[in-house]
Amino acid sequence: MQLCLFLGCNTPAIRPDVERAIRATMPVLGIDLVDADNYVCCPAFGSFPSADEEAWLATSGWNLSIAEEKGCDFVVQCGSCYSSLRMGREHLMHNAAMMNRVNELLDPTGRKVTGKSGVRHVSEVLYREVGPEKIASHLKKSLEGLHGIVQYPCHTLFPSEVVGFEDSARAPKGLRVLTEALGASVDGYSRELQCCGGAGGFMKSTPEQAIEFAQSKFDAILEETQADFIAVSCITCLMFMENVQNTINKKIGEERYKIPVFDYNQLLALCLGFDPKEVSSICNVPRDSVIDRLVPVHPA
Amino acid sequence: MDLQEASNKDLWKDIYKTGDLHFCFNCSTCVSGCPASHGDPPLLVRNLARLVILGLEEELLQEDTPWACVSCSKCEEMCPMDVKPFEMILAIRQWQSANDETRVPQAIVEIYKRGYTQAVGVNKELRESLGLPPLKTLTENIEQLELFREMLMKTKVVSENDYMFGE
Repeated sequence: MQLCLFLGCNTPAIRPDVERAIRATMPVLGIDLVDADNYVCCPAFGSFPSADEEAWLATSGWNLSIAEEKGCDFVVQCGSCYSSLRMGREHLMHNAAMMNRVNELLDPTGRKVTGKSGVRHVSEVLYREVGPEKIASHLKKSLEGLHGIVQYPCHTLFPSEVVGFEDSARAPKGLRVLTEALGASVDGYSRELQCCGGAGGFMKSTPEQAIEFAQSKFDAILEETQADFIAVSCITCLMFMENVQNTINKKIGEERYKIPVFDYNQLLALCLGFDPKEVSSICNVPRDSVIDRLVPVHPA
Repeated sequence: MDLQEASNKDLWKDIYKTGDLHFCFNCSTCVSGCPASHGDPPLLVRNLARLVILGLEEELLQEDTPWACVSCSKCEEMCPMDVKPFEMILAIRQWQSANDETRVPQAIVEIYKRGYTQAVGVNKELRESLGLPPLKTLTENIEQLELFREMLMKTKVVSENDYMFGE
């Protein structure tokens, strides 16, 4: 299967090791990736979607036209990009007048949008298309003996009728199943579905409360789980859940919160035998405690 | 406050044309799951819905809280009346941007200038050290970037605030 990789901005600009992990792992599992040349901002919810519907959907249309030209669906890791592209497409598909207007705007650029290409999240492709059995059969190393917790990206859960792929958005399973396929034990906890709080304007407008909100989640993780690591599948969750641990530590004057955070494709890449320096080197919470404990898998 | 005096009964038509908003019965489900409801001041989505329905333009124009939304869309999922509160938040931001140029997000200027909200593709050495191919960005494709800008210049928010988008 071929998919068009929509990278967004944070991943290639700040965490290109996540991009490397995605590009390394997906072809091993039978998913070929093509690049989205000349893509633009998804657009981020705080940009055109907060300013002008027409400019928002024209920008969505620009991006969607790229996947349509390649003749395949997009695959996206960033939660915001995924949700913005899905929502943009949804708006265009349910509003013929807007679809016409957007195509009028796109026409001089040599582009056209019809909605024939869909938008898929990388965790959905791994969960539904590849499946945990196939992943497990390719492992060279495993996370056996390690405990993890999973952070479902809100943008892949809500609203389920636009972005969802789980059987129930209130009881998602995908990331847990995928992480267990790597050999780890996944611990549940009371605040598993609490948003990391890192996207949008919460942290910018009232940082003190946003940090407290995040701390309530991390306290639950420490009290209720044996987490050696956190598995996410969204670039905002990844960066925020690392950075906020350091912020809280600074605030309390104590190194209490230091759970390594990985994008799922990074854990997958490590277990498929890729070089940690290439697929997992950029972090603000040290990851050696996990990387050093990977267990070699011997073929049966 | 005299609601008759202060209100614009057609405000909802300007902001959020779907009649669904009138189904809101103020139950607060949108608030209870909202990260930004923990802020100070809190984002209280149902209060914003009230301001729109009651037509309180001045109060709504001054509200900063719609911009604290994290876009998690949990309210959209949980709303029992399918009001689509997250869509409403975006619609309120659009309305504020259209009626007060200081609300226009700086991010759209960044996107206009280089295609993205931040510098994508400039970390060439780092990318190479990770074994990544060079990224073909819009920023470096002047011809495509120009077409993108020309397209955006035909939209309302860019054409009406064109002074923001100069070099």
